[in-house]
Amino acid sequence: MAAGTWNDARTMLAEIGGLSRFTGRFFREAFRPRFEWGELLQRSYVNGYLSFPLVGITAFIMGIVLTVQSRPTLARFGAEAMLPSMVAISVVREIAPVITALICAGKIGSSMGAELGSMRVTEQIDAMEVSGTNPFRYLAVTRIWSTVLMVPLLVVMADAIAIWACFIGVNMQRSVSWALFQQQVLDAVVFSDVVPALIKSVFFGLAIGVVGCYKGFHTEKGTAGVGQAAHSAVVTASLLVFIIDLVAVQVTGILGFN
Amino acid sequence: MDTLEPTAPAATAEAVIEVRDLCIGFGGRPVLRGFDLTVRRGENMMVLGRSGSGKSVLIKCLVGLLRPDSGSIRILGQDVLALDQEALDRLRVRIGFLFQSSALYDSMTVRENLEFPLRRHALARKPAERDARVREALANVGLEHSADLYPAELSGGMRRRIGLARTLVLAPEIVLYDEPTSGLDPITAREIVELILGLQRKYRTSSVIISHDLHVARLAANRIAVLIDGRNHAEGTYDELRAMSDPQIQRFFTSL
Repeated sequence: MAAGTWNDARTMLAEIGGLSRFTGRFFREAFRPRFEWGELLQRSYVNGYLSFPLVGITAFIMGIVLTVQSRPTLARFGAEAMLPSMVAISVVREIAPVITALICAGKIGSSMGAELGSMRVTEQIDAMEVSGTNPFRYLAVTRIWSTVLMVPLLVVMADAIAIWACFIGVNMQRSVSWALFQQQVLDAVVFSDVVPALIKSVFFGLAIGVVGCYKGFHTEKGTAGVGQAAHSAVVTASLLVFIIDLVAVQVTGILGFN
Repeated sequence: MDTLEPTAPAATAEAVIEVRDLCIGFGGRPVLRGFDLTVRRGENMMVLGRSGSGKSVLIKCLVGLLRPDSGSIRILGQDVLALDQEALDRLRVRIGFLFQSSALYDSMTVRENLEFPLRRHALARKPAERDARVREALANVGLEHSADLYPAELSGGMRRRIGLARTLVLAPEIVLYDEPTSGLDPITAREIVELILGLQRKYRTSSVIISHDLHVARLAANRIAVLIDGRNHAEGTYDELRAMSDPQIQRFFTSL
């Protein structure tokens, strides 16, 4: 049993080391020409634009559910008027970034792991390399950049949709004008709510991209390995999202943003 | 009766591949243990060995996909192990590699597969020029009408041919074939051998053909190196090897 635990620990440490080296290689290659603009655009379309419907629908539902479920508690304290402010702050600071990141970890992370894993086991990545194209730069750097850029954008859109859904949720029981609702939201949400959330979204995007590509590039054992890479990419990326969120809360607290 | 035979290289042809004392192992298990090989310009050299003997490892070392533990590899006058990434990529453009699995990019059509290396290396900037090179490469493998198909729509033999066309589109000086006929029926396998010989004749390419198939060796190779226990155990033409009394060599022939 002790040997099994030791082996698990070694595997985990090796995984952390591999991920760290992969991230380091990304930073070394990410800012050096040649830039693969065409592939970056294509990946941003796939990872960003095509993820929008799922993120949008989820944000809409979250906005309504949060509003409807928070109302009784606030009403008990006579603070129902605070509903737009409370929901907006919750959405902007925490719910939209984390939910969007988890959706992206599932959708984008698994698709990257499976796509690149399949390319690895069918020797397509090797074929690219022997034809004189750097597969890391062409496949991994573009995909990681796309998630770094697209996840914050999706978060901003999720913020807007969830707040709009909150407006609908508020108006299910009471009539509140858009102007008043907007005023309450804008009074409540300040710079120190928006910027830290966006910064952590960038890190969420980085984690999702790095993990998806790392798992795909290191796929072994044929088609079973491809499934394992996709599964492992989702689990690791989701876990990293929570860890980054935890660190972000501590850092923003230390910097006085909470 | 077979009428296929490889074109003989010029008597004074220089060495384009020189492998010396190559050693590589995995997990403490040695795979190549001092392998030597010389391939001359215009020559088809076959490396014959049993499954798992390290043949694929050898050609992956040649293109820098695997780094050997020791030894030296010189290709087209350049020390492969001393090259930086950019120089290695430039050298790789001069070396074609046909994978056993063909390794076609399955998200691209056949045309896009062939255009990909041309675009990457800006070798044919104008669309008409690119199109001409793609057509020529497809014509060389007899699949001119497959340009708009996806790899999933191709048979095993067609995939192998398209893989070869993608290799040829860069007009390489050396082509490395990893088990080019494995998994193919005898007729398709013979067609692939005809293609290999046709390319040698037409473009004077030098080749390293990795296989365990003596039939391919007889038809396609100028010389054969027999890989046993990680070393170049014996080398010669098909007839020379057949005449050897070495029992390890004879086992290949008696299994025919």
